[in-house]
Amino acid sequence: MHSDSGNALAAVLPPALRDLLRGRALTLARPVWGQRAGRHLSARAGLGHLFRAHRPYVPGDDPRLLDWRAMARRDRPMLRQTEGEDELSLCALIDLSGTMAYGEGETSKRRASAAMVAALAHLALRQGDRFGFATGGDGTLGLAHLRPNASASRLGALAVALSEQELRGLCPWRELVAAAAPRLPRRALVLAVSDFLDPCPPTSAETVRDASPDGASVSAEQELWGAFAGLRARGHDVVLLQVLHPDEVDPPWTGDEFLRIVDPKGHRRSLTGTANALKQRYRARFAAHQRALTRHCEANGIHLLRVHSDEPLEDALIELLARLGGLTPSPSPSSTAARTKKTKKTKKTKKTEKTEKTEKTEKAEKAKAPSGGPL
Amino acid sequence: MSLLAPLLLLGLIGLGLPLLAHLRGHQEPRTIAFAGHRFLAAKGEVLSQRRHLRDRLLLALRLLLLALLVLALSRPASRHEAALAVLGEPHDALLVVDGSRSMELRSEADGRSLFTATSAAAAAIAEALPPGSRLGLIGSDPALPRLDPSADPRAALGALQARIDAGPPRPGSWRLRDRLAAASALGQADDGRTKVIYALSDRTAGGLASLPSTTADGLAVLPIAVAFDAATGTLEGTRGHPAHLGIASASWEPAPQLDPRAMRIRAEIRSYAAADEDHRRPVSVALRVSGEVVTQVELEIADGATAPLEITYTAADLRGPLAATLELVADGEPLVDPLPSDDRRHLWLAADLRLTVTLVNGEPSERRSHDEVFFLATALADQTGDAASSPAGRIALRNLAPDQLEAQVRAHGAEALAETDVLVLANTAAPAENVAAAIRERVDAGMGLWLTVGERIDAEAYNQRLGELLPLLLREPVLAGTAPGRSTAAGEGFAPANLDHPALRGERSDLGLLGARARRIFLLEPDPNRPHEVALTYHSGAPTLLTRDYGRGRVALLTTSVDRDWSDLPLRPGFVPLALRTVTYLGDRASQSGAHSLLVGEVWSTGLPGPLTVVTPSGRRIALSPDDDGVHRLTDTYELGHYRVERGRPGTPGAQAPLLFTVNVDPAESETLPQDITPPTIAGDRVFAAAHMPRWRPLFGLAALALLIESLLRARFRRRRRDGLSG
Repeated sequence: MHSDSGNALAAVLPPALRDLLRGRALTLARPVWGQRAGRHLSARAGLGHLFRAHRPYVPGDDPRLLDWRAMARRDRPMLRQTEGEDELSLCALIDLSGTMAYGEGETSKRRASAAMVAALAHLALRQGDRFGFATGGDGTLGLAHLRPNASASRLGALAVALSEQELRGLCPWRELVAAAAPRLPRRALVLAVSDFLDPCPPTSAETVRDASPDGASVSAEQELWGAFAGLRARGHDVVLLQVLHPDEVDPPWTGDEFLRIVDPKGHRRSLTGTANALKQRYRARFAAHQRALTRHCEANGIHLLRVHSDEPLEDALIELLARLGGLTPSPSPSSTAARTKKTKKTKKTKKTEKTEKTEKTEKAEKAKAPSGGPL
Repeated sequence: MSLLAPLLLLGLIGLGLPLLAHLRGHQEPRTIAFAGHRFLAAKGEVLSQRRHLRDRLLLALRLLLLALLVLALSRPASRHEAALAVLGEPHDALLVVDGSRSMELRSEADGRSLFTATSAAAAAIAEALPPGSRLGLIGSDPALPRLDPSADPRAALGALQARIDAGPPRPGSWRLRDRLAAASALGQADDGRTKVIYALSDRTAGGLASLPSTTADGLAVLPIAVAFDAATGTLEGTRGHPAHLGIASASWEPAPQLDPRAMRIRAEIRSYAAADEDHRRPVSVALRVSGEVVTQVELEIADGATAPLEITYTAADLRGPLAATLELVADGEPLVDPLPSDDRRHLWLAADLRLTVTLVNGEPSERRSHDEVFFLATALADQTGDAASSPAGRIALRNLAPDQLEAQVRAHGAEALAETDVLVLANTAAPAENVAAAIRERVDAGMGLWLTVGERIDAEAYNQRLGELLPLLLREPVLAGTAPGRSTAAGEGFAPANLDHPALRGERSDLGLLGARARRIFLLEPDPNRPHEVALTYHSGAPTLLTRDYGRGRVALLTTSVDRDWSDLPLRPGFVPLALRTVTYLGDRASQSGAHSLLVGEVWSTGLPGPLTVVTPSGRRIALSPDDDGVHRLTDTYELGHYRVERGRPGTPGAQAPLLFTVNVDPAESETLPQDITPPTIAGDRVFAAAHMPRWRPLFGLAALALLIESLLRARFRRRRRDGLSG
């Protein structure tokens, strides 16, 4: 089993990506709330190195935490609080529907999504964080590995799920998010991986009606985005990793070729048309969908990362890590001003935190050797 | 350019079919499973392939192919006019004069016949010929003078006049068209002179109406209608055309139910005039027996109609056959008729056929209705009886079982069948080799053989042993009316009989077999090299009754059973006359006396041994010599009336009963009503004979070429699409 999972992980995590992960760390820009000590800034005081605050000593406190200098200033016993450092819980919600099977070889969406998830999982487990994942495909949910743990075997299970499970049918996103939400630890990092082109297709009853089949799915989609926003509101970090094939960005249909387009999820009727007409219609509506998705993510503080399966995954991974670490601005021009303003407001605090975090990171990296892990 | 079948141009409507197909049809779409499917549909609208023409080159080819086919089937032809400088250029004028019986039609005004008018028409043509032309002559009657083109027209004109002066034309029936080849051969073949055929005839089916515009070797044929008030070389209408009466057919049969010496004579009287029910004329028909008028019948007949006639005559005694003649009379004298040759019909009454018919019963049964030969024997039984008790009896029947026949042949060889005029093998197994050999020998000597089929017939065995005698070889029995896809047999009906067959001449077209159906029939192997004549067929065209001559004898084959096992033929009223006529025909050559009727010009023949002397109606005696095959033939049958063939010298011990036959006119020549013919156009000093030159053959070639190109293009487009899909 170990060797099988090792082989499966080797299959989904390309060597180039694996090499990139050496010397990288998964850090979040905001505090986490872990059950065990980790390397991430915690939302609560703990046994860290960074000064947090002084408070008056009360009987029962650890006297080793008394700050004599503060006592001298205040003429009363004062306790020095430090920032806590907790582990991160990373939870991946992975789309294993039929649409994720598009593409061949190096440009397949399956390969790109599996590599990205595996890379993040590997990073997290290597640095002592916890990882869990859930899948949705063929109308069913896979929640066996949702509760995050730091076991190296979780990576193997992920690799097996990503490489061996057949991609078909529908991923019930609303049910997946609803099932995952109560199981998530506090302040988890939720990574949703899909193409998000049609996450909530109409039901079979709706496909029978020709009138406005898209209307039902739009409302269901709004519900899904609301669920993601709800996760965000509960304090989780949410990342939507949208994996797209270049054909889905710009379909290579030309001329008067007659095409029959079928729904890989099997929830929409196949339709036929000439290539040019289909392409024109697709472009307009696809662009509108992408804009709507971007607006929703920005409005709710959800990270949206678009990965094209024909582009180097290293670039996408680096960008994701930078975003999560707060090192890069939002890609959307409409939110640049707000982010810049926010940056100015907390500039001082961020600078201090950044300096302290950098020191902490360097110390932590010196103190902790990278986890060997299954790699 | 004209179209001989213009209605077929309606097929051009079919050009819309490829257009529709190219508009409606669609290439097989390439299927793509696409995640962005939702962005392609808009509120239920189903995108469909835009309706426009695809593969325009292929469409154009297909339209062209269809148009070529339609145009070719409509038979375009260009009018090819042969300009004949009749009055301007010297040429060879070949006169073809119709000498058939219809030319005997006389004018009611002056009694001149059409035949006599040909001399004036010929003279007019000769006078109009330009100097340097030559005149030739040939007639439809081979007996008419035949002259090669001569610069002196008097040679041809004189010869024609001499023939006219010699008397009326022979009462034969010759089609003018059949003499064109001989007319083309007049003169030298490569003398470089232009030849034109001038056909002088009436406008009947056998005359001008049978002529083409040009001969097979390209000679122009000018129809010159000979009419009673004709000017030289011009055509007339039907005004003034004389109507006439005639006896279309006559036959007789014994009527023993009335009297042993009674005979029933049937005839059809016809008025050859434009139909007019309101105009009726009285007609008298006299029956003359042995030169004396024994009875006379009065009847009325409307113009253009046919009136049946039946006379019952009881002979005073029947010591010999009686020469009878039906004739149209008026006041006791022969009717004065514009065409008198068809006003008489000659019959030999009460002629004693004395046929000995041996029936070999292949499936005897105590129950008569199941016996193989019961119905046939019953049909022939009316004619049985010996000469003493029933002078009208003509057929002596013998019944044998197959093993009895074999025993007799084993004992006596072919002599066992010496007394048999007609041998009927009714559903018998293939005879043994020695019996088959004896049968072959006797048929060759003049015996008639009639084979009827049934369950016991083994095609292979019959073909092996008697194949030499059969009109066509046997193949296999089948359920009649079977066809691919049909689960049950529908049975076969009988088509109208071939009345041109000598065995059935004079019968009604349906032979009284209307409604008869055969459930099983025997299929035959078609073989155009085997001489045979078909007398009766099924509706499907398969032969029912066919005959052939073999040596001096005749063979008939019935492809269904002669009892009720395979058909209901024996139950039909026509079965009796069919059986009688078949037996009579088969036994004709072997019979001691065969009385039947010939059409004028037909050859009379017999396989009986000589010496034979034919006595014609006029008393002329003609000694016959046998041909190489031992058959005596008489070809000069142009005298109408009763013929007698003496065998041996009368009064000497070796003399036998004479053979009898009559010669009557062909009723087809009595149809004298003029038909429409295409006259030649005359423009200025030229006469043009038009012919339609077919132009559709090149169109079929073009269509074939278009089809080839279309096939190649279609394959190429298909390959291109396939490569595009896999790319």
